[in-house]
Amino acid sequence: MSEIYQQLSTIIIAGEDEKAPGLVQKALDQGLAPLEILDNGLLVGMNEVSARFAQEEMFVPEVLLAAKAMHDGLEVLRPHLVAAGAKPIGKIVLGTVKGDIHDIGKNLVGMMCEGAGFEVINLGFDVDPEKFVEAVKKNRPDIVGMSAMLTTTMIAMGYTIKALQEAGLRDTVKVMIGGSPVDAEIAERIGADGYAYNSPTAVELAKRLVGAA
Amino acid sequence: MSLPKDRPTVIIACRVLQSMLQQLLPAESAENAIFMDYGLHRQPGKMTRVLQEEIDKIEASSLILLGYGLCGKGLAGIKSGKHTLKIPRVDDCIAILLGSRQAYRQEFNAAPGTYYLSKGWLESGSHPLKEYEEYLEKYGAEKTAWIMDQQYQHYERLVLVGHSQSDLETYRPQALKVARYCERWDMRYEELLGSYEYVRRLIDASAVPDNNSEDFVIIPPGGEIRLEQFM
Repeated sequence: MSEIYQQLSTIIIAGEDEKAPGLVQKALDQGLAPLEILDNGLLVGMNEVSARFAQEEMFVPEVLLAAKAMHDGLEVLRPHLVAAGAKPIGKIVLGTVKGDIHDIGKNLVGMMCEGAGFEVINLGFDVDPEKFVEAVKKNRPDIVGMSAMLTTTMIAMGYTIKALQEAGLRDTVKVMIGGSPVDAEIAERIGADGYAYNSPTAVELAKRLVGAA
Repeated sequence: MSLPKDRPTVIIACRVLQSMLQQLLPAESAENAIFMDYGLHRQPGKMTRVLQEEIDKIEASSLILLGYGLCGKGLAGIKSGKHTLKIPRVDDCIAILLGSRQAYRQEFNAAPGTYYLSKGWLESGSHPLKEYEEYLEKYGAEKTAWIMDQQYQHYERLVLVGHSQSDLETYRPQALKVARYCERWDMRYEELLGSYEYVRRLIDASAVPDNNSEDFVIIPPGGEIRLEQFM
């Protein structure tokens, strides 16, 4: 295994986002395959971060920096992945639901899903059901991901699913949800296809939902 | 189901509510109350484990009053064992500090992006300025600025909640320092007088509904706290 893969995974874990683009470029310059740089370098680091995060050994600031490092490295890598014929494994439209301004977790999900090979369209926070519907019409995603952090706002998840139904789009997408006030039981009750406890498990769920896991 | 009136009552609460509880509780009960570390809300998994341990340690079948909200799933999955649990039906401590779910709802509608400060939170150092200082040491200026933006850029208001005018006066200087720092996101500073009402109702051991009510989640013996009960 090339030493540079080790270095890539180390800087992801350390959240050294400023070093990621240069190091990815260096790996490309050495003639390493883009997909291997992703799989053996960036993702090895990110998977370690995910594991530590799940164990509550790493916290949000560090995980954010790690995800940013991966994201910035991926920016350099992406054109090469595309040129090498790598296709996204699926498309995700992502947003924090109406009335809710919390978007850190949702952004982490977005960055981690990108790392896993998804194309991610991040609609931001306080996203109206209608805006989700518009985004689904426009982008034809495989998955709609919704986040809410309050019992008072999670209700908008149900409204969004209903809006997708009324627009005749519900069957064209899988819906996954996450956030403090929701769990698998609530996901089932509001008619979502899946629930993820945290950003790493959201990636696993997304892969399952597109049949890539 | 009705409760035997003579069962012991135990209070387990977050330290953030300690001073409010101590104001209201008779000296003996205040001494026996168990106050848990502030920082648990950052580790919901650990919060669940640690609270479960505290509950399981209590030998006599008791009425346990939990001074917590859902706290990022921190309470989900806790089992009552031989006890009955009474829990404010809230996301977090803000509604408890403000005095009611309605008061919280009103403030939420006024400004959904509100960051709350209180005596407990200021004393525990859980606020944006303290975070900034900690991150700065760890990550340097540039990364810190980025992380802080990620966390707070959508907030519009910073509110100090006090429970008396003298409370507000005592904590105002510290809150204003935080407010000055938060001006970078155009957050405006406000002060609110909270109420003891929710805490008062929580510790009223004679008021334990048989089932979940609008304001409290009740877990009978052999039950488990489920997220759904907070909806």
